[in-house]
Amino acid sequence: MESRKRPDKEKQTHGPSRRSFLKGVGIASAGAAVADKFWTTEEAKAHRTEANAALLAGTNPIVLNVNGEKKSVQVEPRTTLLNALRNHLEPRITGPKLVCDMGSCGSCTVLLDGKPVYSCLVLAVDAVGKPIATVEGLGSPEKLNPVQAAFVEHDGLMCGFCTPGFVTTISAYLKQNPNPTLAEVREACKGNFCRCGAYPRVFEAALAAVKVGKQI
Amino acid sequence: MPQQPQPSPSPTPPRKKKIRVPRAINGVEQMVEIEVDDVGGPGWGANDKHTLLNHRMTRVDGALKVSGAAQYTHDVRLPNMTYGRVLRCPHAHARLKKLDYSAAAKKPGVKAIIEGPLKEFRFAGSPVAAVAAVTPEIAQDAIRAIVVEYEVLAHAVRPSDAIKPDAPKVIGQENNLQQKAKQGDPQTVEAAFASCDAIVEAEYRTPRIHHSCLETHGIVVDYRGGDSATIYASTQGTFSIPGDAADALGLPQSAVTATVQHMGGGFGSKFGIGVEGMLACKLSKQTKAPVKLVLTRYDEFVMAGNRSGSWQKIKAGVKKDGTIVALQATQYRLGGLGGGSQAGQPYIYRVANFYREIYALHTNEDSSIAMRAPGHPQASFAMESLVDELANSIGMDPVEFRKKNLRDEMYHRQLDRGAREIGWQRRNSTPGGGSGPLKRGIGCAVGTWGGGGNDQCKVDVAVSRDGSVVVKVGTQDLGTGTRTFTRAIVAEELGLQLKDVVEEIGNSRLGRANDSGGSTTAASLAPSVKDAAYKARILVAERIASLLGSVKSEEITFANGNVTAAGKSISWKQACAALPAAGITAHGEWRSDLQARGVHGVCFAEVEVDVETGKVRPIKMVQVQDCGLPLNRLTMESQINGGMIQSLGMAFWEGRVMDKDLGLQLNPSFMDYKLPGSLEIPEMVPLIDDDDKREVVIGMAEACIIPSLGALANAVCNACGVRVRDLPITPDKILMALSARGSA
Repeated sequence: MESRKRPDKEKQTHGPSRRSFLKGVGIASAGAAVADKFWTTEEAKAHRTEANAALLAGTNPIVLNVNGEKKSVQVEPRTTLLNALRNHLEPRITGPKLVCDMGSCGSCTVLLDGKPVYSCLVLAVDAVGKPIATVEGLGSPEKLNPVQAAFVEHDGLMCGFCTPGFVTTISAYLKQNPNPTLAEVREACKGNFCRCGAYPRVFEAALAAVKVGKQI
Repeated sequence: MPQQPQPSPSPTPPRKKKIRVPRAINGVEQMVEIEVDDVGGPGWGANDKHTLLNHRMTRVDGALKVSGAAQYTHDVRLPNMTYGRVLRCPHAHARLKKLDYSAAAKKPGVKAIIEGPLKEFRFAGSPVAAVAAVTPEIAQDAIRAIVVEYEVLAHAVRPSDAIKPDAPKVIGQENNLQQKAKQGDPQTVEAAFASCDAIVEAEYRTPRIHHSCLETHGIVVDYRGGDSATIYASTQGTFSIPGDAADALGLPQSAVTATVQHMGGGFGSKFGIGVEGMLACKLSKQTKAPVKLVLTRYDEFVMAGNRSGSWQKIKAGVKKDGTIVALQATQYRLGGLGGGSQAGQPYIYRVANFYREIYALHTNEDSSIAMRAPGHPQASFAMESLVDELANSIGMDPVEFRKKNLRDEMYHRQLDRGAREIGWQRRNSTPGGGSGPLKRGIGCAVGTWGGGGNDQCKVDVAVSRDGSVVVKVGTQDLGTGTRTFTRAIVAEELGLQLKDVVEEIGNSRLGRANDSGGSTTAASLAPSVKDAAYKARILVAERIASLLGSVKSEEITFANGNVTAAGKSISWKQACAALPAAGITAHGEWRSDLQARGVHGVCFAEVEVDVETGKVRPIKMVQVQDCGLPLNRLTMESQINGGMIQSLGMAFWEGRVMDKDLGLQLNPSFMDYKLPGSLEIPEMVPLIDDDDKREVVIGMAEACIIPSLGALANAVCNACGVRVRDLPITPDKILMALSARGSA
């Protein structure tokens, strides 16, 4: 079982892991991310230097390949792929949700080069030149993919906010392992949280999607 | 399926019908059957006679949600919109000395900075100021550039500290400990203890729990300096928004429209615009441009509310025959700055002599707010644990013991069914018995809830000449399936399919509806929808009766997309073509006879405890739940699962952790606040109690979060032989208890 989105993936140069994320952004914004928690005034002041401010400023034009379309967008170096999709791209792509913004819940999962990643842990500039697929790219309301259809059929959702993440994760996993056991499905979506408690039916949906069609 | 028989104009004397209603008997709510006049109008009919309701209907908004097309408040982006962020106080108790935002204001892209309403902050996370900027990143920079000086004051964040006589005052000059209620006669109870065969005395604690809505509290205020505004809100109450927003924007309420098409979880935490909404309105007023202010996950933990904790000291006495005869309880509600909530003991059990005192014990933490069955899981956990301890003290089977002390026979039936489903006979006859380190145990508990409706929903059903049908009401769908049952009630009444009806909801310009709190949505909304659909059917029937020959409108049946009378049948579309050019619109009002209050549920849980590591593995959970008429079996089962899973989190993993000295929350993220995940979910069996023949709608969403806590705690004790009375039941507590027993 591939343990996706986990630190053992860090060997990839631009892997979407926590550590490489921090490396990529540099000390300045890593510090800033921590300063968002309660720092003392002295500590905060020490990190509020001109050099750090310069690192954080300015935007760059990049081209993202999202759901088969090339999109130009202006982002800062620190802008995450998730924020680029949701807040900067025109028109916006809002299937991936911002929930924890720190790689713990899976609601922002997208496929980067076909692999599921937390888009809140990927810098937009690091996604340049790689195909990005969001849940919108997997199927539309009129033409759902087998996983999406199974989620509807088996009620694998309630509020639906975690659903794009689960659908994306499971769609990618079934491509890799078209005949999973229940235990493997659980393992595959251990990086996704649902608060309403749809898990039992998420599992059902994943296993049912396998039966419906091998083509995910 | 045959159409339900329609009530005809009633000749005198009026027909009678039997309904079951709740009655308080000795302070305990019971269901009793009474006879009332049958006033005619719509009725649900028998639960097994429906064509859509009480069936398994997939959500009508499912396709939108699984494909990312559903637009939540978080997904709104408007032209020239700015992003709001909130600066929070980093101290549990402090006074504002200086706030300097000159540097922040100079940053490119920063559009507005406003100060919060407070000068003294009583919890870490209290809002100090807010900014609006052209990107979320710049807004965050601006927040960091604001310089604040505080006078730090003494705090108390732990109940055990706050209760001390010399503790820092948390709420002004008032005592941290406030008596809220007392009931019963302590002398009588004391005397009754003397007659008991066994007495159990114990303390139970539950921590503060976070709603953890995946969509954080958020709002988009679309005000552009004109004389009206539109508010997109992640809310449980569409109509709880316009008044507050109008006040903050200085507009008349009629000028403000609120909308919520989809929302990412509320669980009781999303009513009104909240402090973030007030700040967003002020920022929008200042910038004369749309402002989006969604809380960060960190904000959500420290300032968006929580379920109050509890600390309950209970002493109870029992007779050898299993009757609980005396109970005395001191209950502390731990609601931070707020009063908290906690149902009074002995909760739903019948105890002849009881005395209880209920206090609010304040700490320097944000106020608790409503969370799914406010105050009930806390009280249920303590009482259900105690009930098992009492049963064990006299060597009685916990199921039989419960039946002995629960008057309502619905529970007896449900307990029997749950016991069959889980295999109660497999239960560890001696708690902690068996060989090897992995020990299994089974536990059970019961729950109840009101779930009745009220007269707040105004529904319109419009039928056009082309046969299209629209049902309109401003209510909201929290993921509970409101859209689906609203559409289904209309479709069924008109003999159509789900796809033939469209619902318009989630907008304050539509018919008034109640907030979704207290499991009141279904029982408030469904009767109004049914009334509107029934009247629409009558209106259509009257207009088209002549097409079917000389029949009376009440003789016409609507089924399978056809309109039929006296052996003649035409399609729905053909019938509607005969309507007036403007079609027909029927208005529905709430009918009390289509709903009721009072649901029952039981939960049985099986767990495996590793007595060497203290780790608990949930194996299976079964819940039996009634609700009168199940509007949609598929979504109802999902909600039962959801209740059990949220309980599972409370039982084993969740709980706010505070640092005593810093006064800060130590686990304000999903890295450190552990939610139930895919690897921990046991086999789950949600069962609808179809022996409930009440032909009425009753809300059950909150009921199904209540009993699982007790069932899980009792299963742990049955497995390993020691009882943990302090949630969450973590491995360290189990090992400590095992060790204490070993050394005793």
